[in-house]
Amino acid sequence: MNDSIEPCTNEHNLYFDNAATSWPKPETVYRAAEKQMRQVCGNPGRSGHTRTLEADRLVYSAREALARLFNVTDPARIVFALNATDALNIALKGFLAKGDHVLYTAMEHNSVLRPLGGLQREGLITTTMIPCSFKGYPDLDFLENAYRPETSMLVINHASNVTGSIAPLEEMLNSARKRNITVLVDAAQTAGSQNINAAALEIDMIAFTGHKSLLGPTGTGGLYVRPGLDLKPLREGGTGSQSEIDRHPESMPERLEAGTLNNSGLAGLLEGLKFIEETGIETIMNHEHKIRSYLYKKLQEMPALTIYGPDSKEAASSIISFTINNVDSGEIGYILENSYGILCRTGLHCAPLAHKAINTFPAGTIRLSPGYFTTYADIDYLVDALKDITALAAG
Amino acid sequence: MVYSCYITFPTTYFAIRAESVLKNEDFVFKMVPVPRSISSSCGTALRCQCEEITRIKDALIQNDLELEGFYRLREEGLRTPTVEELDLNE
Repeated sequence: MNDSIEPCTNEHNLYFDNAATSWPKPETVYRAAEKQMRQVCGNPGRSGHTRTLEADRLVYSAREALARLFNVTDPARIVFALNATDALNIALKGFLAKGDHVLYTAMEHNSVLRPLGGLQREGLITTTMIPCSFKGYPDLDFLENAYRPETSMLVINHASNVTGSIAPLEEMLNSARKRNITVLVDAAQTAGSQNINAAALEIDMIAFTGHKSLLGPTGTGGLYVRPGLDLKPLREGGTGSQSEIDRHPESMPERLEAGTLNNSGLAGLLEGLKFIEETGIETIMNHEHKIRSYLYKKLQEMPALTIYGPDSKEAASSIISFTINNVDSGEIGYILENSYGILCRTGLHCAPLAHKAINTFPAGTIRLSPGYFTTYADIDYLVDALKDITALAAG
Repeated sequence: MVYSCYITFPTTYFAIRAESVLKNEDFVFKMVPVPRSISSSCGTALRCQCEEITRIKDALIQNDLELEGFYRLREEGLRTPTVEELDLNE
């Protein structure tokens, strides 16, 4: 690491970019990742010595904790991946077959749009986009009329990484289930900060990342696959089991995992999951909702701002996008960082269709994403900075 | 003669899950490297007292675990043990 980089402490920076990756992490997350590397010294599934078993137990515990998070009983249905993008690729490419038709919403991230686009260009599938409202909600009437006989899958972005709007999961799942269509939920922005009851809602697949609301390290994430749904593996290789045969194991979770896992990352993720369990999802949701509402109301008081997405009362993930009259969003981001030490994200956020839906394409927005550790004082400081900037812009 | 019994698993996942399922129950067992005289898909096996192997198997099956094989080994110091495969299926 370059020692000249100042640490991301609150003395130097205020962090409003939790939708990109959460910061800070609970102290236990940092410690567990380091401890795994320094002390556990074994590769899960490989060798039979005691340290390997210890490494195995960590990975298994992380699976169990994720199964509890999604309220499913069998931890084998949780497979680990690099991140949500990787998990979405495993789901889409492992499930879709030639001739399939796929429905997806306009709020999807490029992690869904690009694999679908690739499969479409190869001539394997066809797709239909469900348009979304100005606030980022999918058009349910359009959905009802979009099914075709060959429709096999509906992809739902649980919460938009641009607006924070939460898709009406239950209605959309009911609509798809009536037609026996498999539903893939992209929970990149919500796993760890919103309730997702896979058992009650009968969700087929959930892709999640470890480094956002689950408070773990980057390079962790995964896919929940409901019992009875068998995906074709995207990758095959070493699993430490059935080594004498040249066929990848069929039983989960090894079926969809090959090669050495990110063990130190998963040790950190396990601590993130424990933190969430101990704190309680409801507590996290309530805090994030209050913080978002407080920020939304403060931003509303500034007439130069146009705010997108759900208002201060509506349920949303902890994201607010806005623009300032006639000023380039990237320029605002630059000033926020360099004059005030405030970190946020500007531009299109890898979700071009979402920006088309809310009429901010191609200029994009300024996105603020507070997290569980954001305080009201942090927001007051941010709002003061924005007041300065808008005054300057009105100049 | 010293006898000990082993349960083998199709994958590591099931070996670790077995340990997790049994840890709150009153069984004496240990997760060990699979003895070379047994052939197994996964490198970790469960070693237990032979009197308990049927009850342990039942507890694991109740929890939907996939098991591979059941063995009784007669251990004679460092010499290759005598292996007997057990048929525990009803």
